Amino acid sequence: MGFKTKKSNADAVYSKKSVKSSNPFDSATAQNAKRVNPFDVHVNKEKFKILGRICKHDRGMPGVSRAKALQKRTQTLGKQYAVKDKSNKFVDHRIGKHLSGDQLTESVMNARFLSEKLSQIRASNKAEKFNLNDDELLTHRGQTLEEIEQYRDERSDDEDEENDRLDAEFTSAAHFGGDGDKPQDRQTAIEEMISEQKRRKNEIAKDKDEVYDLTEKLDANYKQLLGLVNTATEDEQREKPPPDAYDKLLKEMIFEPRGSVTDKLIKPEELAKQEAARLEKLENERLRRMKADGEEQETNVQVPHRSADDLDDGYFVAGEEDDDDTLAYDLEGNLGTHLSQKKQADENGADDTEDDDDDEGEEEEEEEESDSEVDNMSDLKVSESESEDEQAAAPQANKPKAKTPKAQPVASMDTSIPFTIKMPKTYEDFTQLLSKYTATQQATVVERIIKCNDPKLDGVNREHVVKLFAFLLQYIKDMFEDASEQDIVSHFQLVSLLMPHLYDLSHLNPERMSNTLLDVLKEKYGDYRKNQKVYPSLETLIYFKIVSNLYSTSDFHHPVATPTYIFMQHILSRARVRTRQDIAMGLFIVSIALEFGASSKRLLPGVFNFLQGVVHMAIPKKQGQDQLEIVPPFERDGPFSKLLAISASKTSKALPTQQMQAADLVTHTITEEFKVRALDTALRLIKHCMEQLVGEHVGAGCLATPFLALFERLSLEPYAEHVHQHYAEAKEALERLATQKMKPLAPPDRKPKALRLLEPRFEVVYDDKRRPKMSKQKEERAKLLHKIKREKKGAIREIRRDTAFVQDLKLKQQLESDKERHEKVKRIYQEASMQQGELNELARAKKRKKF
Amino acid sequence: MKHTNKAKQGAPALDTLAKRSNVPVELQQKANAFLNATQVDTKVLGGIVKLFAEEGYAHQVGLMHTIEVIFKNLLKRQSVYPADEELTKPGKKSKAKAKAKLKKTLDTDPNAKCFALYNKTWSWLLQRLAGTNKEDANVALKVAMQLIVTEAKHIKHNNGNWPKKHLSSILGALIESETSPALALPAFEKYARCLDVLQLSYELLPQLTPASFVETPQQALNYLGIVNTLDLGKTVLAEQQYHMAGSFDLADTQKLLNIVWQGIIDRCSGVDEQVHRQVLVVLLERILPHLENPILLTDFLMDSLHQFDGPIALLALQGIFSLMQKQNITYPDVYKKLYNMFYPRMFYNKYKARLFYLADIFLTSTHLPENLVAAFAKRMSRLALRSPTEDAIILIRFVCNLLLRHTGLKRLICATAAASAVEIADPFDDTELDPVKTGAINSSLWEMVLLQKHAVPEVANAARFVSKSLPLMEFDLGQLLEMKESDIFDDEVKKVSKQFMLAYERPKNFALPKNDVVTQYFDLI
Repeated sequence: MGFKTKKSNADAVYSKKSVKSSNPFDSATAQNAKRVNPFDVHVNKEKFKILGRICKHDRGMPGVSRAKALQKRTQTLGKQYAVKDKSNKFVDHRIGKHLSGDQLTESVMNARFLSEKLSQIRASNKAEKFNLNDDELLTHRGQTLEEIEQYRDERSDDEDEENDRLDAEFTSAAHFGGDGDKPQDRQTAIEEMISEQKRRKNEIAKDKDEVYDLTEKLDANYKQLLGLVNTATEDEQREKPPPDAYDKLLKEMIFEPRGSVTDKLIKPEELAKQEAARLEKLENERLRRMKADGEEQETNVQVPHRSADDLDDGYFVAGEEDDDDTLAYDLEGNLGTHLSQKKQADENGADDTEDDDDDEGEEEEEEEESDSEVDNMSDLKVSESESEDEQAAAPQANKPKAKTPKAQPVASMDTSIPFTIKMPKTYEDFTQLLSKYTATQQATVVERIIKCNDPKLDGVNREHVVKLFAFLLQYIKDMFEDASEQDIVSHFQLVSLLMPHLYDLSHLNPERMSNTLLDVLKEKYGDYRKNQKVYPSLETLIYFKIVSNLYSTSDFHHPVATPTYIFMQHILSRARVRTRQDIAMGLFIVSIALEFGASSKRLLPGVFNFLQGVVHMAIPKKQGQDQLEIVPPFERDGPFSKLLAISASKTSKALPTQQMQAADLVTHTITEEFKVRALDTALRLIKHCMEQLVGEHVGAGCLATPFLALFERLSLEPYAEHVHQHYAEAKEALERLATQKMKPLAPPDRKPKALRLLEPRFEVVYDDKRRPKMSKQKEERAKLLHKIKREKKGAIREIRRDTAFVQDLKLKQQLESDKERHEKVKRIYQEASMQQGELNELARAKKRKKF
Repeated sequence: MKHTNKAKQGAPALDTLAKRSNVPVELQQKANAFLNATQVDTKVLGGIVKLFAEEGYAHQVGLMHTIEVIFKNLLKRQSVYPADEELTKPGKKSKAKAKAKLKKTLDTDPNAKCFALYNKTWSWLLQRLAGTNKEDANVALKVAMQLIVTEAKHIKHNNGNWPKKHLSSILGALIESETSPALALPAFEKYARCLDVLQLSYELLPQLTPASFVETPQQALNYLGIVNTLDLGKTVLAEQQYHMAGSFDLADTQKLLNIVWQGIIDRCSGVDEQVHRQVLVVLLERILPHLENPILLTDFLMDSLHQFDGPIALLALQGIFSLMQKQNITYPDVYKKLYNMFYPRMFYNKYKARLFYLADIFLTSTHLPENLVAAFAKRMSRLALRSPTEDAIILIRFVCNLLLRHTGLKRLICATAAASAVEIADPFDDTELDPVKTGAINSSLWEMVLLQKHAVPEVANAARFVSKSLPLMEFDLGQLLEMKESDIFDDEVKKVSKQFMLAYERPKNFALPKNDVVTQYFDLI
């Protein structure tokens, strides 16, 4: 035991030492800290030091705490006791009556003041209703402000206070005896000192007055001097030495623009840049929509190795970054990446900056960048021209296209059309309005109606533009519903002119307009559904084209485009093909479907079936030959299975290349020219499909093989050279796809699953208290019970003390009243004894007289 | 009915009838007068019956109703059948004799006259029954059946039994009807739900079987149509309906049914497609569950499976399926046939839903060889590339189900790392007729990847299982089979979406600003 205690003592000493050595000022108390009187402190002696036990009661200040308790009681219980059995009460009705000390903030005081004022005003309202001069006197420390103003001294009074003190000379003389030359008696010395002091004060006051007068004078003269001063400084400025480099820099820094101008005039190239950025943003959004959710996760994509610890936080290893361009089709359909293009542009820019470091260099760089963006756009333009190159086989198409834009500005200058046109109320009014004008003028009219009814101008216009959109759709329907061979071209021209306006309209209120168009499509579908075997009327196809032009048809799911897709598929797979019109319409729908999928590369089975059917119809069928497999609505045999077949003749061979004509969409009889034209178009469409639509897809071979079987049977003898050429091209594309080799499907490598991380299991702290083991609930309950017990004890103690306090008070009162009574009794006794004394004296005197 | 005043019995009945079926007024009056008279005036009756013969008589329906009421009354009064038993005894032999006798007694006995008129009426009714006017045929059948009931009740020599002669004549008329199926057949179906009619018909039918199905396909079809109405199903048996109170013995009826089927199958060689199809329909729907020895059908079904395409083969397939289920026959060729029933044209057949359904059942077995099922999966995914939208979804789900059932087929979508590194041409032979030899098991489902690029999002999503994980549960194809193309459109339109994404490039004319296809191929402006 002894050994143990020794050791523990040593430990304690060591620990004390180590604590001391770490910071010598640790034990030092702050200068301003309250010092505790050591006699006030009571220390509870601790027998054993127990590790881990926090003892709160090791030391206390019984005196202080008792005093505190007493004070608290006098304030609470004492007050209550004082007013006990008393009926009168003082009620505090002021604002914030419960607040005290710091809680009484400025705002509370203000509110108090205000309410007080209000009550005063309310009281005196009647009497002083007409008293205009009732300016209240404002006070500060009991003095009115006016009075304070009067005595205000301009001169600051801090100086004289300083000099109030005794100066060193005086103190040395007075306190320490001085030089003892003149031995004077104390009386004179003090008198001298007082007079000296007074004189000094007077002098100082005089000096001050003088200084004040002088400053006043100076202030008065200063204004007169000002003029002179200005000229003098100007001269001095001229004489200033030339600024050195430091000054220059300083000035530059001062005058450097701190913020950019908010609405600067935008340069055209910047405008182009902005536009390009906008387009790129939109394009990115479109690409995102094009993909189905989770579609990126395609099979057979070689994913670089991923560790189980990879957090997928987008951190790339430096080496990897170069190869990390995500593959994507650009607008043209070429495999490429935005990233790589951008990077190229960046590199260009970087090169330039290296070349010239001047300020102008920056501008150039900007230009260069914008150039690169323009390049990007021109890229697109090139692509357009490329697609035009493809068209070059049929150069006729371009000529009329070129004409139309020229005609437009002329029309817009046309003064015969009023500049403001009201929105017609009914469709009849609308048609009446349009019927007055030519096609180009009609477009202008529509444009002006849109301009005059922009929703930004007036809220009512929101309805107007929707109505206009509906009217235009109806107008198109009326145009195409019974179009004839003669006017079909003009109708198409008009639609072509209206198209940009339809686009504008749709952008004014996409939701409403789209719902209108969707309703029209629904209605058309309802009509078509009644007779699935017959092609719908021409205006339906025009609506398809409008959908294609107005909407982002490449979306994976689009509220307008998707139903249109389904509609087209339905037509292509069900409607019978019997006339020239049917074939032309089918090809029209096929090309629209290709347009829909131009960038999304989505395929519609109906397209392939229809193209197969067209080729099939061009194959002359002889008796006895085995039938080719072909899917309805095309027929395997019979007259309708060889609608497009022709026999060799000179005329057919000499036919020039031709696109499909507008008239094909409305006529029924099939001519030789049409047969060649349709087959030629079908061949070109096949090539288009195979190369641009499905060319990149895995497994496209199974789409191509059915075509090849048909191609073998198609004899090209009676056809002209261009058909031969297109046939060869299409066949080449098909064969390429059919012989395509593919990697067997395999699911993408999944990220390996990380091992489960387990929480470390901690032991419950051992506290060496042997309590019976209880369930958690019971333990909680026991704890609570214990707490209650303790609280009860505390409460009882408090109550006991309270009663003691009250008893004390009572006792004090009792004692006081007793004391009072004693004194009274004493006085009475005193008076009585005095009276008795007097009486005795009188009696004695009487006795003396007797003697 | 009470027999207190027989004469006035008919009139109110006729009145209510008149309201229902527009009996002309004069006819009604005539009939009323006739019925109210105590004596039967055969001349009046004759006049009414004669109306049948008039070509242009407009109120045939009313007439028939009137006749019904009149003869019902007369039958109740016992004034139709002559007292002489011999005359009316049914039987083929005595018929001629009876007729001769009848003529003799015509003048003397008014009942005999009535009887003649009654017979005449019957022949007219049967003629209507087999006629081309639907309403007439229905009413005629109804009247005939009503008359049979009354006759059975009130004529002594029937003793409450069925007058089989009449029913037989009705069936005969139906068989020889001018149209096929006979117009009165739907009406007859109602009566065929009565068990007594059912049993009697089966009893009578063997005698009425047309001599040759090949020469008279019309009659054969009608005959089969009648058999088709005679349903021995559970619901009918449970209903316990009787046309007249009678007894019904299921075992007897089943025996009779077997006799009928024997009669049919004997005449079945070399019949034309339509009849063959009808035979199969009848077989599957009515006969097969009650046959004593269905295993004998195997050859018949296999022949029809191999000789025919399309619906007949499908029906045969269904028959074979039920045989497989109940009789445990095995016939491996079935799968080859089934495989060849999947071709692009199938989407345009009416029975495609049934085909899908059957194929689903046939391929349920997990004990099928993998290369066979792989061929099915491959072919179906090929077809999905050419099919209408709704079928594409079904096919994709179907393939998905196949992959779930046959875990070995996972290699079609999950090639081993080594295999997936090498590029190959598709080893699947599209033109091979035998599914086992197509080499599909070495192929891979590239079609599904292609289908992910389908324009309709439902299809594309359905095909996504290839790149994602397979679903845990099989899809229920039942709901999908009901779907039509237009439903997909409607569903699509119903999806409320406010995101109408617009194109961001303003078209300057008819063509798109870029990538325009229409103007490349069409010279419109």
